[in-house]
Amino acid sequence: MELTNSMEKLFEKLGDLKSFFIYGQKLIPTLQKILNFMQDTVPLLESVNKSIAESTSKIPKATNQLHSVSNATELATTEILDLVDGISNELNSIFSKTSELKNRLQKQKELAEKLKSKYQNDNEIDEFLSYSLFDDELCFVDASSNKIQESIMNITIALQVQDITAQQLASVNHLINSIQEKLSGLLLDLNGKERESDKSSSQHESITFNENARYVKDNQSQKLADSLVAQTNGVKSQKEIDQLFSNKNE
Amino acid sequence: MALKFLVVDDSVTMRRIVMNSLKQIGHENFVEAADGRDALIKLNSDDSINFIITDWNMPDVSGLELVKQVRANPKTANLPVLMVTTRGMKEDIIEALNAKVNNYIVKPFTPQVLREKIEQIISTVNV
Repeated sequence: MELTNSMEKLFEKLGDLKSFFIYGQKLIPTLQKILNFMQDTVPLLESVNKSIAESTSKIPKATNQLHSVSNATELATTEILDLVDGISNELNSIFSKTSELKNRLQKQKELAEKLKSKYQNDNEIDEFLSYSLFDDELCFVDASSNKIQESIMNITIALQVQDITAQQLASVNHLINSIQEKLSGLLLDLNGKERESDKSSSQHESITFNENARYVKDNQSQKLADSLVAQTNGVKSQKEIDQLFSNKNE
Repeated sequence: MALKFLVVDDSVTMRRIVMNSLKQIGHENFVEAADGRDALIKLNSDDSINFIITDWNMPDVSGLELVKQVRANPKTANLPVLMVTTRGMKEDIIEALNAKVNNYIVKPFTPQVLREKIEQIISTVNV
């Protein structure tokens, strides 16, 4: 009886073993596929590793180039401002000279009028009076000079775009540096090395910026600022300011 | 009393634009500082400065920090401060007003806006 039980258990175990072998046979192709996949993956991982290393090494160059662009535009803007200042100075000379000319012509006109009243039948005085009045021409010079001055001011306003784009570029640089830090970390993890802080990537990080800097002339932000400033008029204490903005800042 | 402006901005371009605009609206008396730290040094050494025009985003000592330090110093606490910045979000403006700037300009600005804000400040503050 005991022998029969033992044999039954043995056959049961053999059955399990057979099932295992059958399962194993079925599993072998799958395992082979996994092995092949892993073999294929190794060069792929090496390629990814290489690609990350290449990208990481290029990032400092990219940030330097962006920084150079920012510096170059600042230099160019300064040169434009120098030229604008030069034109502005010339224009001021024109304004001053036309003003002087107007005064002198007015005096000449007054003298001619006096002469006219003295020598009423003198045609040459009439002729002088008709030639010496340059009112229209002077008005034209004034109007043109004012237009040039307005254009100069518009150029100056437009040049504020340099500061705004410099902040946008600094923001992009900051983003690129963050990506570089992550990629460098990933690369070191893949190579099994310990992370070290990379100071070269953040050499331009001291440049401060507003990531939301935009060159827009719709005045919406200015109107908002004006309305908030108006609300603080007459408010003296910090407590009053805190109370004023306690709900608005949420 | 004549106004003497301290123009604070880390951008050379912006300092020149602010100073050109000041000239355009009839103010010729100004000194410049490249950041908040430089501004504090200038304020400490030049008692004739009686109006500050400052940017916000600057290295070392920002415009906001400059305003806080100016307000904390009894010698400079009452100086008028006009902030000229790219920061146009509501929370930024409120933060600046909490630091007690007298008025606020969002870049890009025109000389007319600069004149308007300076006049508003002068009419409410004893310069």
